[in-house]
Amino acid sequence: MIVNQTIQIAPVRKSVVVFAAPERAFEVFTARIDSWWPKSHGIGAAPIRESVLEGFVGGRWYTTFEDGTEATVGHVLAWEPGRRLVVTWEINEQWKSDARQQFASEVEVRFSAEADGHTRVELEHRNFERMGAAAGETMRKGVDGGWVGLLQLFANAVK
Amino acid sequence: MTYQKALECLSDPTRRSVFEKLRSGPKSVGVLAKGLPVSRPAVSQHLKALKEAGLVTDRADGTRRIYYIDPHGLGEMRRWLDGFWDEALAAFKDQAELVNQAHRKK
Repeated sequence: MIVNQTIQIAPVRKSVVVFAAPERAFEVFTARIDSWWPKSHGIGAAPIRESVLEGFVGGRWYTTFEDGTEATVGHVLAWEPGRRLVVTWEINEQWKSDARQQFASEVEVRFSAEADGHTRVELEHRNFERMGAAAGETMRKGVDGGWVGLLQLFANAVK
Repeated sequence: MTYQKALECLSDPTRRSVFEKLRSGPKSVGVLAKGLPVSRPAVSQHLKALKEAGLVTDRADGTRRIYYIDPHGLGEMRRWLDGFWDEALAAFKDQAELVNQAHRKK
């Protein structure tokens, strides 16, 4: 009777056209991420000093902070220079770095050539429902027995 | 956060049962109350709480109200990121074009 009704949180989709070739746009997005990533949008206690995205599958995307600490933002899942990038977003609902991959959302960025040396950059941030499960885990640790079974139910419902 | 409010709301076992019943599809209060050991007004109260937590929403169907799970119930983080990516991509565009211009001049 109960079918697999899946409940998903809609992905965030963004698109921007830049006046640069796909290869250049990709390079700026990745190797030069520090030159544009907003310094105000860090997850540490101190302001961001530097953002680094390592250019290979498995590479780490991390941020160093003014107070000398650093935090992982995610890891590279797909690395296709000039065409496509997929990274995990390992930041939980508390806005903290969370290494548990099963709860990570992910960000895909596609680069495609447009007329006159322009590139369309399409970004999709998806799988937020996994973060729901992570929030559930956090809550489960913080409260007692009454919660047993609830979080699994919740995780399933938002899957 | 709305997130936590949603989880707290589901800590009540009856409310959880109501929510679970809605997983198989939209239902009226009457249908929901049939399979539960509580009165119709009690089910209405639970639905109200679920609605306030952003987990459930409703629509009119003639004289009845039909309740269903709100797929955006966990969307607060999503909304925040939506604005965040707008800002980040605008900064990226500026930088990419700056770099591009510098290379073209060479």
